[in-house]
Amino acid sequence: MTTNPSTPPPSESVVQDFANLSAALTGFQSSFIRPFLDPVNLSGTFYQFAVSQVGQTMMDALMSAFDALSKQTPPLSAQQIADTLLEVSSATPSPQAQLCQSIISMWYLGSWYPPPFQSGGFQQVISSQAYTKSLAWNLAQAHPMGFSAFTFGYWSQPPGSLDTFGVNTGNGGGQ
Amino acid sequence: MSNGASPQFDVVIIGAGVSGNLIAKQLGLAGKKVLILEAGLPVPDSREEYMNNFYLALAKTPESPYPALAGRTGSQANPAGELPDPATLPTPRATVLGLGGKPNVSYLIQAQATGQNAAPDPKTGEVRGLQFSSTYERNGGGTSWHWLGTSLRELENDIQLYTKYGHGVDWPLTYSELQELWARAEKEIGVAASVTQQEPLEVVGLEYPQGYQYPMGPIPTSVVDQTISQGVSGLQVPGTLPDTPGGSDPTMYDVFVTPTPAGRNSEPYDDRRVCAGNTNCIPICPIQAKWDPTVTLGKALDTGNVTVSYQSVAYNVAVTADGKTVTGIEYYEWSRDAQGNLQKVSKSVTGKIYVLACHAIENAKLLLLSNNWNGIANHSQQVGRNLMDHPLYLTWALAPQPVWGYRGPLATAGIESLRDGEFRKYRASFRMEIGNEGWNFATGDPYTTARDFITGTNDSGLNTGGPNGTPQRLGGTALALKLNNLFTRQFRIACMFDQSPLQENCVTLDVDRETGKPNNTDGLGIPRPKVEYGFDPYTMEGFRMAAYVCSQVYQQMGAQEFTKNRVGGTGDFTYRGVSYHYYGAGHVVGTHRMGDDPDHSVVDASQRSHDISNMWVVGSGSFPTVCTANPTLTLMALAFKSADSIIAALNY
Repeated sequence: MTTNPSTPPPSESVVQDFANLSAALTGFQSSFIRPFLDPVNLSGTFYQFAVSQVGQTMMDALMSAFDALSKQTPPLSAQQIADTLLEVSSATPSPQAQLCQSIISMWYLGSWYPPPFQSGGFQQVISSQAYTKSLAWNLAQAHPMGFSAFTFGYWSQPPGSLDTFGVNTGNGGGQ
Repeated sequence: MSNGASPQFDVVIIGAGVSGNLIAKQLGLAGKKVLILEAGLPVPDSREEYMNNFYLALAKTPESPYPALAGRTGSQANPAGELPDPATLPTPRATVLGLGGKPNVSYLIQAQATGQNAAPDPKTGEVRGLQFSSTYERNGGGTSWHWLGTSLRELENDIQLYTKYGHGVDWPLTYSELQELWARAEKEIGVAASVTQQEPLEVVGLEYPQGYQYPMGPIPTSVVDQTISQGVSGLQVPGTLPDTPGGSDPTMYDVFVTPTPAGRNSEPYDDRRVCAGNTNCIPICPIQAKWDPTVTLGKALDTGNVTVSYQSVAYNVAVTADGKTVTGIEYYEWSRDAQGNLQKVSKSVTGKIYVLACHAIENAKLLLLSNNWNGIANHSQQVGRNLMDHPLYLTWALAPQPVWGYRGPLATAGIESLRDGEFRKYRASFRMEIGNEGWNFATGDPYTTARDFITGTNDSGLNTGGPNGTPQRLGGTALALKLNNLFTRQFRIACMFDQSPLQENCVTLDVDRETGKPNNTDGLGIPRPKVEYGFDPYTMEGFRMAAYVCSQVYQQMGAQEFTKNRVGGTGDFTYRGVSYHYYGAGHVVGTHRMGDDPDHSVVDASQRSHDISNMWVVGSGSFPTVCTANPTLTLMALAFKSADSIIAALNY
């Protein structure tokens, strides 16, 4: 991992805010992103990693934007917040929206994909646990290849519902 | 070396893989003293280190957990993850990441990517200059650390292809002898299967001796398998397509799915756990529920009669002046000093009998290197020739409903019903393996499709839902649901062909014979293998048929095919105006073919050299043809026969 060791670990409230942002962007339940007991603490790892790649100023700006959207009245849905931050209807997403894409990629794929604006960045697996906890596999209602908690023969039956794999299925959920 | 002293060992074996370990175990049990020279690093005490390499590898290729290329990802020192130069490594090997590259990344010296598809020669009909795409490992345990576990038996007509269909060559073994040898191999590996479930394959000549039972019950089939099985009900395909060169087979053949016998545990066996469906047989089973050669190596060491010398790379098989007797093995013992510099010490060892068991390409290389690059055991001139693989043609599709791939062992069933028929006079036969890993092999998913929908690209071919078919960019629950809808419907089929043996597909030494100097060497200064490869029309007609059968399967089950044939890569050719991409299956065979006739084969049916009475050359290199089953089971079966014959020779 390439996190600058001189960077102090983020505070509890920053990690929680980042987890809330991550939940909105990924479509996963907050309790999956940051469980009550969270010894692995990928939220903290990913926050620090992103700061090491794009700088504190840019992360602060993103967290402020998320904070403002979260406090709007009437409240925005998680989907609306994600669509706004990702600028999904724009043909040319801003650097901040590109950063949001990289954050989704960390959670889904366990790897850092440098956003187009980042100079000197390179693609890398963030850590073993970033891989073994990566969430794209949950979207297949499966498990990371090479890391499974299922037991013999599970593959001959359909899996549990998508909710049980942590997805915030909203109104249109289900298998 | 041959100084009159008695030999140091009864048997010296080169290579600690499937064959070497099995022969060592059998000899050890018989009280014979055995030394195994293994080129690579020792088998680690725990596979955690290899697992971690795998987790951290950006490209999770077959080689990714194993030493030298282990865990390659970008780093501050090497942001692009550049590959090490094989000229600096003690045991370089062919790797997926090095395919198509120049000698500074590709261990095998062979055709490089040209940006254009190879096309058939108008005179011969052959397509030449193709990339040999299979790779292997050189470390304790060998390549079968990452075998799939598929333990199919060959068919009776696989081993008598020439007699039956006038193509290729026959094997010098009877089917009944192979049946006995397979049973021993199935017990050693611990093959999970049911004879009753295999019975429908009587239509292609698969038969078991009366009352035979596999060591344990079958591995359950996946939902993917079950869906295809129902979906192809009633489907038939002809033996040949219109305008097949040479003739036609209009017979209609039934297409049906059968569970695949597997070297993975359906119950605890040999102190190893049952399969937990980690979907990672290749590159590494995290829990060793799948048999691998280190299991048999452990048993060999337990006999107390077997010693392994690691980091010991053989470079010369010393022979008497008449070339008829091996007198010793010369090898480099390598290490790295405190600065990481490669060090080597030249050593030699003697035995009564010698066994070359270091992979089809490495066996050929070692035979050709010996006797000052003039080669040994080669009066047939067949050493290094007839190089074959199961060229693998991959197709993929989206099912109409979820099939829930990415779950279970990588493959649990296949379509084996098209492996034999009169069509083998005119085109290559093939088996069809159903994959349980979604589009992971096909497109690199879930990565590719996820990135497509996160960033608005369309590398997967799936992101066309925007206005006028343009890619979408999604986030939040919409992204999660879209990917769920796609991932759960992905599946693929891999077709593997009984490629023709061709003299011109060969392994030679990359040396300049005029100057007497090597061109490209490994880090120890040993010349590297040079490979030439291509397909004949018989083989390519198999591809054409496979593409047709896959499309029929998908159509019959209402699936949408997404197969994309690349153009201009390293494994691409054009046949009858259609572009095909193939992969290597790692099933490297033919380079020291077995046969009864010493003028046309290198070893006999027990894998003993025709020319050198105290040398056996073993492994899939002995296969005269690549047949229609994955080779490991048969490779081990042949090793049992070799072990028997070595023990008999020692006791004579």
